[in-house]
Amino acid sequence: MTSWQHHLPILPVLIPLFAGAILLFSSETRRGPRAAIALCATLAQLLVALMLLGIADGRLASPWSGGIGVYALGNWAAPFGIVLVLDRLAAIMLTLTATLGLATLVYSLARWERAGIHYLPLFQFLLMGLNGAFLTGDLFNLFVFFEILLAASYGLVLHGSGPVRVKAGMHYIVVNLVASLLFLIAAALIYGVAGTLNMAELPQRVAMLGADERTLFKLGAVLLGIVFLVKAGAWPLNFWLPAAYGAAAAPVAGVFAILTKVGVYALLRFAVLLQGPGAPAPFGGDWLFYCGLATIASGTLGVLAAQKLDRLAGFLVIVSSGTLLAAFGFTGTTLTGPALFYLVSSVLGSAAFFMLIEMAERNRAPAADLLAISFEAFGLQDKHDSEHPDGMVGVAIPAAMAFLGLSFVSCALLLTGLPPLSGFFAKFALLAAAIAAPPDAPLLHTGLFIAALLLSGLAGVMSLSRLGMRVFWNTARSAPRLQWIEAGPVAGLVMICVALAVGAGPAMSYFNAAAQSLHDAPAYINAVLPGPQTGAKP
Amino acid sequence: MSLILIVLLPFFGSLCAASLPTNARNAEAWLAGVVALAATALVASLYPQVAAEGVLRLSIPWAPMLGLDFSLRMDGYAWLFALLVTGMGTLVVVYARYYMSPADPVPRFFSFFLAFMGSMLGVVLSGNLIQLAMFWELTSLASFMLIAYWHHRGDARRGARMALTVTGAGGLALFGGMLLLGHMAGSYDLDTVLASVGVIQGHPWYPVTLVLIALGALTKSAQFPFHFWLPHAMAAPTPVSAYLHSATMVKAGVFLLARLWPVLSGTDEWFWIIGGAGLCSLVIGGYLAIFQQDMKGVLAYSTISHLGLITLLLGMNSPLALVAAVFHIVNHATFKASLFMAAGIVDHETGTRNLQRLSGLYRAMPITATLAMVAAAAMAGVPLLNGFLSKEMFFAETIFLDRPEWQRTLLPLAATLAGMFSVAYSLRFIHQVFFGPPTDDLPHAPHEPTRWMLLPSALLVTACVLVGIFPAHTVGPYLRMATDSILGSDAPAYSLAVWHGLNLPLLMSVIALAGGTALYRLFLWRTLDTVPLIERIDGKLAFDWLQTALTSGADRIMRRLSSPRLQIQVLAIFMVALGGALLPVLKDGSSFGPRALTPADPAFVLLWLVGGVCAIAAAWQAKLHRLAALILSGGAGLATSLTFVWFSAPDLALTQLTVEVVTAVLILLGLRWLPRRDDRYTRGLPDSTRSHLRRLRDLVLAAACGLGLAGVTYAVLTRPDVDGSSPFYIEQALPLGGGLNVVNVILVDFRGFDTFGEIAVLAIVALTVFALLRRFRPAPESMPLPKQQREQDGADGIVAERVADTTARLPDGYLMLPAVLVRLLLPMAMLVSLFFLLRGHNAPGGGFVGGLILATAVILQYIVGGTVWVESHLRIHPLYWIAIGLLCAATAGASAWLTGQAFLTSLAWHGVLPLLGEIHLSSVLLFDIGVYMLVVGATVLMLVAIAHQSLRNHHRKTAPGGKP
Amino acid sequence: MEIVFSLAVGVMAGSGIYMLLRPRTFQVIMGLSLLAYAVNLFIFGMGRLRIGDAPVINPLRGSDPALYTDPVPQALVLTAIVIGFATTALFLVVLLASRGLNGTDHVDGREPDQE
Repeated sequence: MTSWQHHLPILPVLIPLFAGAILLFSSETRRGPRAAIALCATLAQLLVALMLLGIADGRLASPWSGGIGVYALGNWAAPFGIVLVLDRLAAIMLTLTATLGLATLVYSLARWERAGIHYLPLFQFLLMGLNGAFLTGDLFNLFVFFEILLAASYGLVLHGSGPVRVKAGMHYIVVNLVASLLFLIAAALIYGVAGTLNMAELPQRVAMLGADERTLFKLGAVLLGIVFLVKAGAWPLNFWLPAAYGAAAAPVAGVFAILTKVGVYALLRFAVLLQGPGAPAPFGGDWLFYCGLATIASGTLGVLAAQKLDRLAGFLVIVSSGTLLAAFGFTGTTLTGPALFYLVSSVLGSAAFFMLIEMAERNRAPAADLLAISFEAFGLQDKHDSEHPDGMVGVAIPAAMAFLGLSFVSCALLLTGLPPLSGFFAKFALLAAAIAAPPDAPLLHTGLFIAALLLSGLAGVMSLSRLGMRVFWNTARSAPRLQWIEAGPVAGLVMICVALAVGAGPAMSYFNAAAQSLHDAPAYINAVLPGPQTGAKP
Repeated sequence: MSLILIVLLPFFGSLCAASLPTNARNAEAWLAGVVALAATALVASLYPQVAAEGVLRLSIPWAPMLGLDFSLRMDGYAWLFALLVTGMGTLVVVYARYYMSPADPVPRFFSFFLAFMGSMLGVVLSGNLIQLAMFWELTSLASFMLIAYWHHRGDARRGARMALTVTGAGGLALFGGMLLLGHMAGSYDLDTVLASVGVIQGHPWYPVTLVLIALGALTKSAQFPFHFWLPHAMAAPTPVSAYLHSATMVKAGVFLLARLWPVLSGTDEWFWIIGGAGLCSLVIGGYLAIFQQDMKGVLAYSTISHLGLITLLLGMNSPLALVAAVFHIVNHATFKASLFMAAGIVDHETGTRNLQRLSGLYRAMPITATLAMVAAAAMAGVPLLNGFLSKEMFFAETIFLDRPEWQRTLLPLAATLAGMFSVAYSLRFIHQVFFGPPTDDLPHAPHEPTRWMLLPSALLVTACVLVGIFPAHTVGPYLRMATDSILGSDAPAYSLAVWHGLNLPLLMSVIALAGGTALYRLFLWRTLDTVPLIERIDGKLAFDWLQTALTSGADRIMRRLSSPRLQIQVLAIFMVALGGALLPVLKDGSSFGPRALTPADPAFVLLWLVGGVCAIAAAWQAKLHRLAALILSGGAGLATSLTFVWFSAPDLALTQLTVEVVTAVLILLGLRWLPRRDDRYTRGLPDSTRSHLRRLRDLVLAAACGLGLAGVTYAVLTRPDVDGSSPFYIEQALPLGGGLNVVNVILVDFRGFDTFGEIAVLAIVALTVFALLRRFRPAPESMPLPKQQREQDGADGIVAERVADTTARLPDGYLMLPAVLVRLLLPMAMLVSLFFLLRGHNAPGGGFVGGLILATAVILQYIVGGTVWVESHLRIHPLYWIAIGLLCAATAGASAWLTGQAFLTSLAWHGVLPLLGEIHLSSVLLFDIGVYMLVVGATVLMLVAIAHQSLRNHHRKTAPGGKP
Repeated sequence: MEIVFSLAVGVMAGSGIYMLLRPRTFQVIMGLSLLAYAVNLFIFGMGRLRIGDAPVINPLRGSDPALYTDPVPQALVLTAIVIGFATTALFLVVLLASRGLNGTDHVDGREPDQE
């Protein structure tokens, strides 16, 4: 352990920690310096994440052999100490987190940061929790990082206070506290049976278990899976989600777009490690697949029923989670790569969407909304507007509204998977992979999957156009005043998605590579457990 | 190279158009015109090449592993269509320049207009199925934007949404179909697909694929039963209707059907689906067109009908029919576009398009009238005009159809009927608008428009006539090239001529003309307001109903499938957990282990009798008697910590105990802000049987979960120890960890990272609590001082509110003596806590316990001394403690980097200092100190934040703007 | 002993879960702490039950793993206790805030409409 690259994996955890701690010293009134600190920290994280992205892919000089980086904390080799494991997937998630963090942070500096105190430190701690959860290779440590990001998210979801937020926040907190207790039970049970908390050693231990122990272990694994499903917002464990996301401040909701994906990520990791005969229910194929379908269905219904954009956004998040679950539950591993592509593009899209609707919904005219609703409800007939010529002259759209409208359309395209943005390519890749699925995949599944994806997309189009018109073509509504640092992040996120669409080739190949190295469990295990050596210090 | 230019040019133009200022009307028009003209020229210039080489290709690798390349492919058919799109575009731009009002914000218009042109060219020139589907959706989007151009009009908004929903849905279906098609053919490349007829038609997925693709094509081409969106799309500005909704976009459907004709056609499914839809649209569209009141309405329905004709031709599975179809595509584009332009002119000059109001315009605008008449005649299929030729071919095809007898008799009849309809509505269109007595109750006095507005339509009409008279010399070669490129080797021989001699088709035309005229003469003098026979059938109403039904239905189902109530959610989680846990047990079964039980100790049993009773009682009391419940649960906690002691876990016992205390204090501080709870509530909620059942349900579930957990615990307890990693920790604790207390060594060294995260959690929560309480507004009824305090004040004879005297050396609180003792206690507590901190590594204790002890001492000061007094005498900045604690721990971890070791690697330093003698320093200690400080800071911060709430009402009087 | 222990876990978990399903915030917080006790005991139990073998190395007994109980679950419990403490405090404050802002201590922020 000498070269500085060795220490890169720990930085995504430490940078935000130090930043958060330092922010505690400066008083809330000194906005400039605080913002500077937070920005620098987030930029540094992005930089590190990008380097790790390169290292994991072997484009930058990698200090580790075999592309999988292992960082033994306290120099205690696994399974005795806690290790951070870096592979392509982790690198992707880190980069995504940092990107999202940067965008939402910049956005929040415009106004939301002032809605309450300690916003910036909490934000940094949230990033710390996310990064740690993506990196850690230890079950209990995963729990700890879940707690970190949850605790921070509690603080952020309550940021700005107010009755609605507190109510939604309380539901969110209770649900997650229960989930955490389940997590503890699961982790403890797994330790009590398998005698290890190290994720790489787990499969080996499980292989050696007797029948009874295996049952107990499965029981623990099932609970674990359920916990992850709660985080991922799978039906019927997702009632809290739309309210919480809708009530949270816009940038918070934006960064929350990735919270559900943490659950999905953890689920995927364990599914790969615990695969094989007798894989526990939530990690085994069909269960996950149908759970995903149910989630898509519930999300789609919500999308159709939604009468407000923020709820709609929440349900779209659910749909994307469901799509991912269904994709991972699908027979074979060919869908993983496309699913990762979908994950990235949908996270970026929904984050942009959350920030966007907040800007658009400012100074809204509720009366006009009601009118719009009744218009739709009764399909009021106003025939022959051509009779009054003023109806034949268009209304100019102010620049701010035009920008918002354009971004809205882009986000809509992203979230519904319509061309030409990355959402379309992600869905295309998913569907193509599902159609070309291995022969042992039941035809029914393929059909259901295709139908689910296309129909959820259609529902999205219908609802988005319905609500979007209300907001953007509502002449009774004055255009909001925008600041660059608010518009910038949204535009930036959309631009990234455009880039993903243009560079669909290289992006897809990276995601596929990530999927392959992810599914190569032995490589992971060998990297973490280098032979039978004690954790003695060198 | 110029292929890609053709596609990109319009998009580029669209970007430029969007960036121009709102009032730059002429600039916009010039830009769009130049772009369109250039594209036209480019396409035209490619004719020799296409004619010579057959197919031009251009392919740029994009996402190879997805089988998706950006590939353009121009054969004769694509060339013809591209020319149609670009040429028509040029004319419409000229027209639009004069049509759009000067006040219109045209940049939006032209930018979407050009974007549409680009996407349409993309559809036409795509050499890749997926890419085609992609551009296909883009055309839908562009049309949505253009229909809703006048978005302040309700009909425009609704029409746009309807169009988007229908065509968008079709687009998704098409996308699915393309995926299947590509999978069957083994590639998304158009050439490959066209080459693999056998595979595809033999494949079991063929029917599904056909249905999906048909859905896409029929929705796009507004074919029955999806035709209803087109008339509502007429809310768009007339140039848009002329371009998108008659000439090009609606043709995309039939374009695709013809494009895939070689692979998909020839089967019965194809005949019934495509042919059937075509026939229905042909007849129904024609019939409905007769009764429209809006000029554009007539044209819209006639478009549906004519597209139906084309679709029917394509569905006939005969090469000649295909030729006729392609021919009619071109013809229809020419005459229908010019008719739309005429309608637009009338609308523009008179201010209305209502057939009932318009009359006798011939005198006012003869040129327009003439142009419209010729075009309408072409539409009606009058000889010597292009419409006649393709209609003749159509009639011929219906006669020589290679199908069973009844179909062969039925089809010609239907065709003739449709012919009559089209004659009738063409006649009505012309006669009612331009002839009859001139009216004067029009919004504007009618007059001829500017020459430039007439030019495009004039050119188109000329084309109609030329093609009508000299088909072979005008359109002939191009048509041949197009059809050859589709049919390849089995292209049929046909002759484009005006006169085929006296034959059945001619007779049918004559019947159609005569019948149509008669129909109009007899029945349609007075126009009816409603459509006879099928007035009830209205696609729009059905669509609206479907939409609202979908929304409300989804809402209703959502109420069933989900709930905004927390209890339901928690219930769901526990049910899922229980079910999931039972799953493996039931599937694989399990039994308890063999391990010998340790003999039960009566004292322990007693302990847990009490503990269990406490727990249950707490659950029972929590609703009405909070304090009791709190104490009881405290009892349960006590039992827990005693259990820890019992089973050799001193650290846990210690920690649990201290945590107990602090939590109790916290909750006690909070209790006051909760609403008084008396039997009012029990009366408030009538204990209906439902609520009883609900409680019973919860009780059962809770019991089941508890039992399950107990079972699992027992099952594990009765198993032999696992040979986990624990031996390593015990063996190495001293040699490697340098501590005797293994648990502590694990916490601060082996698994220090967990502790690291754990203190972060504590810090975060403290911050959240602090931030939240900043905004805390207690409920009004809980603002006044509590009863006890008031009584005390009364006893002390204090009337005004007690204001602490911050200068006093002792708090003048209610409890003088305890105050003194507690003040003495603080330093002691500090010592004790430090003692625990330092011994932690070798004996039960550690930073966490130490921290909690100090925090407890501090809060005792508050409780006894009173907040104001304490804070005036001892200032602690919990936030700084937290921050320093975090930094301490982090630095301790990072210090390992100095020696190039991994984060959190413990560094020990043994040395001999003068005086002090041998000394042992370790980064682990620093780490533990960090923990200690953070715990103190966080706990005090939380406690103080809550404690401060009771000062709120005082603060407003005494210390304004005090801390939370 | 084991039976009693398991029953203890079960009873506390059961009453905790029942509390969690109640509509009043104070009941919920009680439930949380009860369930937390149960979970702590459960984790602790995963190291099996031993009397008088505290994992504090006694130089006289030496450091033979057989002589001491499994320390890992104890470490986990410690972390769990701390986090449990933090979350309890947090929830307490949230319920206070909710009570203050929504004027009720019902978990849904409003009194249930009479059903």
